[in-house]
Amino acid sequence: MTISSRSGSPGPDAAEETTVIPVVPAQDGADETTTLPPIDVPVLEDEEFEPQADRDATFRPSRAGWAARSAVWLVLAWFVLAFPVNFLSPFTLGVSDVSAASEAAIFAIVGLSLNVLLGYAGQISLGHQAFVGIGAFTSAYVVVDLEMGFWFAVAVASGLGLVQAAILGAVSLRLTGLYFALVTLAFGNFAQQTVFAIPELTGGEGGKEAPRPAMFDSDYSYYFLCLGFLAVVLFLDWRLTRSKAGRALQALRENPRVASSYGINVKAYTLLAFAVSGLFAGLAGALMAHHDEVIVNQKFGFQLALLFVLMTVVGGLRSRSGVVIGSAFFALLHSGHLLSLLEPVTQTIFRFSLVDFITGTIGLPIEFVALVIGPILLLLTITMYPGGIGQQIAPIREWMLGRRFDRHAGKVTEVEVNDVRA
Amino acid sequence: MNLPLYEQLALALTAGVLRGAVYALVALGIVLVFRGSGIFNFAQAEFGTTGLFAAYWALEIKGWGYPTSFLFGMGVAIALGLLTERLVIHPLRDSSRVTLLVGTAGVALAAIGFQFWWFNETLVMSMPKINEAFFMTPWGAVVTVQELITLGVLAVVAVGLALFFRSPSGLAIQAAQQEPVASELVGISVRRVSMLTWGIAAALGGLAGILAGPYLTFSAGFLSFGAVGALLPGFMAAVLAGMRSMPGAVAGGLLVGCIEQLSSLSILDGAVPGAGALVLFVFLLGVLLVRPQGIFVGKVATA
Repeated sequence: MTISSRSGSPGPDAAEETTVIPVVPAQDGADETTTLPPIDVPVLEDEEFEPQADRDATFRPSRAGWAARSAVWLVLAWFVLAFPVNFLSPFTLGVSDVSAASEAAIFAIVGLSLNVLLGYAGQISLGHQAFVGIGAFTSAYVVVDLEMGFWFAVAVASGLGLVQAAILGAVSLRLTGLYFALVTLAFGNFAQQTVFAIPELTGGEGGKEAPRPAMFDSDYSYYFLCLGFLAVVLFLDWRLTRSKAGRALQALRENPRVASSYGINVKAYTLLAFAVSGLFAGLAGALMAHHDEVIVNQKFGFQLALLFVLMTVVGGLRSRSGVVIGSAFFALLHSGHLLSLLEPVTQTIFRFSLVDFITGTIGLPIEFVALVIGPILLLLTITMYPGGIGQQIAPIREWMLGRRFDRHAGKVTEVEVNDVRA
Repeated sequence: MNLPLYEQLALALTAGVLRGAVYALVALGIVLVFRGSGIFNFAQAEFGTTGLFAAYWALEIKGWGYPTSFLFGMGVAIALGLLTERLVIHPLRDSSRVTLLVGTAGVALAAIGFQFWWFNETLVMSMPKINEAFFMTPWGAVVTVQELITLGVLAVVAVGLALFFRSPSGLAIQAAQQEPVASELVGISVRRVSMLTWGIAAALGGLAGILAGPYLTFSAGFLSFGAVGALLPGFMAAVLAGMRSMPGAVAGGLLVGCIEQLSSLSILDGAVPGAGALVLFVFLLGVLLVRPQGIFVGKVATA
């Protein structure tokens, strides 16, 4: 079966078909049966389409175009790698800002984890905070109580995340769509009230210590550690979507029955999606534990699960760059750092204090900004721009990847498919 | 000091039925919305909390009387329900069900956000009861009049809904969900029916919120996952009712309340913390895996 790619540009298969089809029947038909006039309508249509497709396929940016693209890439690299650690930067950021940046990277991993489930497999999880939380406490337990190394702890946390997600996935195979959402909700509730309340595991009210390894003790080096893991997760996610498994997942999300009749093992691939999602979530949990250094169980409430769903959907399902940006945005908004970073900018340019406006004029404390703005963005996303941030930035992303700037790139009409049934 | 087991059992069942009444009210709203539009409404409990906040505001800040405040709270809850239908459900009517689920979860989160915004100075709020009286049952359980009122309201609402679904409007709701196009052809306005469903569901949520509010102190998100976390138990009750049966939702609500309270028995308590959540999770899994069509379902009415 053919699966159309999400971006509007035609793939190589489509280009081949258009060149082959028109040539053959017109010639033969004219020789054999003289009465029939040659049918030339489709030939004309194809010729009309050809040059456009050709132009896009063979498009190479000019020298200036390359320079502009490289400049944007450099600025992006500077923003991610150098800006938070005050390297080659006119701004000076405090340690807490770097710490917030690490958190943004961790949230991005969580967002990618949820994207595998929600975007690729079409299953909603309302208990993702439990996966992350169990990863966090496992890692802390391994480092503090078992006195094992940090890397081993991360591996154990990721592995446990994989196992528990696979078990929940096995359950989900017997349930469909909306009922599975209920199970994850109950699982999250159970983890929060039962598992996270075991004092031996979570340290009770005071929280559990989760020391960082000596090499990554400072907030700066820890930021690069988080970035490194984010890069690994991005790579794995990219390989997943490009592999046979990724195409199988896409097919079974569109329609499980059709996929199964094409020989796709629905159960195995759904379980795979769960396992990958759990692996990422456990990894994010471990990073979160050592980022906070003291991990408290109140952190993993239902609101966090909703925030995860929110940032993934607003980021744009199935769009890696969108999910990363959306997650980072919500992480910074959640911790209040986005506003404090924007404050000097608005002060100098507009002579206007955003923080004063929000806390004073509107009367909204900073810690609740994400809670008020987030749902509004979510509702706007699903009703008006189902592709989320990924859709908004698609033209720029395509351009940066060396293609023509196309305002309509990455247009999607629906977030999910119509075949998720209860 | 531990009470004998049968006394604990009596106490747990009393508390379970009383708490279950709130769950049943939420479950009724969930079942109604599912029957009317085929949607899992995660905002159901937040209609209640928002109504409770409005009633609290009217009573404590504005100093209106209790009946006026109660009606005001109900009005706000219903308005929120209708707004949800207009702004979220209607534009998304052709989307997949998971999109709609995310939409209702977004409404719930937005409601919580606005509650925080509205009352961010007040940390702990408590709504006065309709009647502060309480009494002891012979087996030693404390029952407040407020809880009995909730139970009574539940009974009235359940009977009322059962009758309503036999009336032309009630039948129209089902018809519109099953065959929207055909319903339009026989003169049912799907739009008005949808508004009606969400209005009634929000009113049920409002009742649950304003009646359960005085049980304890409350804060934002009270009825979803706060002190009286009725969202998940409400959904469980609805699942027990096969997402369709109104009497089943009431029975399911009471049963879920009892099961949750049974976990507080001393033979279970102390083994694991938060046994209630564990028992509910296992129970939900069991029901969904063994009898996904629900327990309290009689003959499925198709008309």
